[in-house]
Amino acid sequence: MNKTMLYKLGVVLVLLSIMLAACGAQPTAAPEEPEAPVATEEAPVEEPAEPEAPAETEEVVEPEEPAEPQVFWTKELRQAIAASIDREVIVDRVFEGRNAPAYHMVPPGYPYATEAFLDKYGTRDLELAKQILTDLGYTTDNPFVFELWYPPEHYGTTTADVMQVIKEQVEETGLMKVELKSQNWAEYVDSFVAGKLPMFMLGWFPDFADPDTWLTPFASCLQSPDNGVNYCNEKMDELLTKGAASSDPAVREATYKEIGDLYAVEVPTIPMFWEPEFVTVRNGVEGVKIGAPFEFNYNIVNFTADASPASGSADTVIIGTTDEVNSLDANDAYATHDWEILKNTGVPLLTYVAGESELVPGVAAEMPTVSDDGKTYTFKLREGVMFADGTPLTSADFVYSWDRLNALEGQVSGLIQIYVESVEAPDDLTVVYHLKDSFGFFPALAATAPFVPVNPNNFPMDSIVQFPEKLDGIGPYRMTSYVAGEQMVLEANPNYFGDDKPIIPKVIIRYFADPTTMSQAVEKGEIDVAWRILGAVEATRLQSVEGLTVTKIDAPTLRYLVFNCTYMTGAE
Amino acid sequence: MSSSLRNFLITRIFLTIPMIWILITMVFFVMRVLPGDPIRSQLGPKVSEEQANAIRERLGLNRPLYVQYFDFLWKMVTLDFGTALTQGERPIIDELGEKLPATIELTIPAMAFTAIFGIASGAYAAKNRKKPIDYGLRLFSIAVYSIPIFFMGLLFQIIFSVRIPILPLAGRMDTLMMTNFQPITHFYILDSILQGNWSAFWSCISHLILPSLTLGLALTGVFIRLTRVNMIEMLQADFITAGRARGLPEPRLVYKHALRNTFIPILTLIGLQFAILLAGAVLTETTFSWPGMGRYLVDRIELRDYTAVQATIGVFAFFVAIISLAMDFLYAFVDPRIRY
Repeated sequence: MNKTMLYKLGVVLVLLSIMLAACGAQPTAAPEEPEAPVATEEAPVEEPAEPEAPAETEEVVEPEEPAEPQVFWTKELRQAIAASIDREVIVDRVFEGRNAPAYHMVPPGYPYATEAFLDKYGTRDLELAKQILTDLGYTTDNPFVFELWYPPEHYGTTTADVMQVIKEQVEETGLMKVELKSQNWAEYVDSFVAGKLPMFMLGWFPDFADPDTWLTPFASCLQSPDNGVNYCNEKMDELLTKGAASSDPAVREATYKEIGDLYAVEVPTIPMFWEPEFVTVRNGVEGVKIGAPFEFNYNIVNFTADASPASGSADTVIIGTTDEVNSLDANDAYATHDWEILKNTGVPLLTYVAGESELVPGVAAEMPTVSDDGKTYTFKLREGVMFADGTPLTSADFVYSWDRLNALEGQVSGLIQIYVESVEAPDDLTVVYHLKDSFGFFPALAATAPFVPVNPNNFPMDSIVQFPEKLDGIGPYRMTSYVAGEQMVLEANPNYFGDDKPIIPKVIIRYFADPTTMSQAVEKGEIDVAWRILGAVEATRLQSVEGLTVTKIDAPTLRYLVFNCTYMTGAE
Repeated sequence: MSSSLRNFLITRIFLTIPMIWILITMVFFVMRVLPGDPIRSQLGPKVSEEQANAIRERLGLNRPLYVQYFDFLWKMVTLDFGTALTQGERPIIDELGEKLPATIELTIPAMAFTAIFGIASGAYAAKNRKKPIDYGLRLFSIAVYSIPIFFMGLLFQIIFSVRIPILPLAGRMDTLMMTNFQPITHFYILDSILQGNWSAFWSCISHLILPSLTLGLALTGVFIRLTRVNMIEMLQADFITAGRARGLPEPRLVYKHALRNTFIPILTLIGLQFAILLAGAVLTETTFSWPGMGRYLVDRIELRDYTAVQATIGVFAFFVAIISLAMDFLYAFVDPRIRY
């Protein structure tokens, strides 16, 4: 026994010393990154204002840096890679045609979408790629070598296959060589935010239904560092500001056409493909309409007379998902599933006609009036709107939400604070939004979940309530219970103001741990609808099952390749 | 209780404390050495660096590591698990209070099935050595041992739930029943008995069959083989021959005298398998959408939710320690030679 004790004491001491050594190190010690040049750390995250930077030709100037480190990417190299990629082949080989090739960052079906990359490079322009690289002095013996990073698990198992095909295509030029590298998601996010990866893959899902949310985050001097792009170009900024500021469709159309063309020349990122989503319904379930803004309105779902509902009663519909609830506080929530629940239990100022992309008044009585400078939006609220618990809604609730958003600094705060300066309520039915600048897309933003008024009885000013026991909003449904990982129950809100009262009074969301189990459940009839994220494999299987209808939804989920435009190298 | 037994127990319990301490310390540092942090893992690049820092500040993650460590140790000593860092930042004690009962409800029947079925068929195979049933059981043990748990789970789901719809597919209770069910202890079976809600009780039982069978079967193979080998050895022992010579009935010889003496290695194995059982629970819980500790742990490791992972592993370690302690204690009962 004594020996054992001594031995254990020894182990404890060794461990303690290791711990002490670890404590001495930096608290946020990052992993060693052998390939990353030291210079990256010092490289300033691109200053937005670079007065004498010549537009068009050079986007990154590093005046005072020592001689050796250089910017890794030039516009020409980015173009060569863009030209050598064939999206159609990727979509065919990896996704068997289910995904759609993406020729611009803005999804087709969105206002002002173009196909800028198709116009510039066709489906693929291998000769152009070779030409560019030859002009830059690369040969088959001295090819351009770069690392391409990806997260193997975060975007599904197909990611590795996609990267392999990209590698083959790029190397087909004979003048480029790709080193594929991967890191798991948590590590990966850290690495690219810190600017350690030269080129990497990401996915994007829009915040609101306007082209701006597809361009500004990647190409503006201010926002592109947050997404690891670190791209800054005066002309691009000017155009983005112009497009964002205008509310005139003609001006916007022309501006976004110009932005698209410039984007294809500058190539801060390369759009790759759009990933579809699938929704599976059992026969007899109607009204599952998910349109361009990607919203699922539970209130219009209904059963036909010959349906056999999973619950056994036409008063209850069961919807399955593999998503998880992250937060149900509208001043905090920033995830797709959370927004879906918030919009079914609440109504933003503006909203969409179910299943379509037409913007209409939500809790506002009419579309907002805009001041001449485009910076002030005035909304008139509907009269007599009440929360599900009977509390009347006034314009003060919008001011309350705005104050709360600022006070609590929740996850979504940043999204709104970029655009909104202040909110005021001159009378009970009028809300005025003062914006930081003229943003023509503000109506689309006002149709998102953060513009759903929170019920002050559920959500106090001093804390974020991510899991309220009840959700008594102003929407068609109210949430009456939620058991994490199991299910959520929504019941019709008796005080709902709209004409589109729920057809089915009770909705149960059932949470699954994996898509295979969910697909078995819809096949068996334990759930009526299998929604996100079913995945292509299960969706394909279910297509051949009798009694089910699988619908492919052209979801605005983009996969794209990012160039870290300030990535430095001394080896060049 | 003899004084030597008491001393033994006290020493063992005191040895458990440094064991758990070492483990949670390792978890504490390993989690932080791993790249990525809770904020970026959950929110990805959609929040700016300033905002991410504001959240880190609020959660106390920007304090020096040793401050965080001693704070954490002190909280553990006072049994304060703190709050989770992601997914709503709920108190860990509430989260574990929901997840742990689910896992225990799953593992107890699984372990019981494994032990009873595994030991009985192992003994039976040894008694019928080199007969067809022996070969059959050996083949079976290898088969269940080598089939991955999630695959076995999927097979059961397809056969007994989709093709022959006699059992529910996933979850702990019927969806509709859940809407009116108020959990008290979160042991749903116990809760439904306490509330006298018999339909809920049967719903729980039927939901439990497939996952616990899956988990149980996966571990059965080892038990069959271990019991069989030890029994064969034991059946050749002198005391069995002596018993046989005295005319003791054969079943009594096999299942009382011989089997009892094989229990020492089996008990050790039960203790060891318990840890594997918890690991197996991760896969079973995913396949059957069972909201237990295994799934919780995997989710939170991915999110780098330090406090949740530390607490979960601490609880796992505690259980493994308790079980192995109980096994040591049981040795004395099965083997008259062992006295404390």
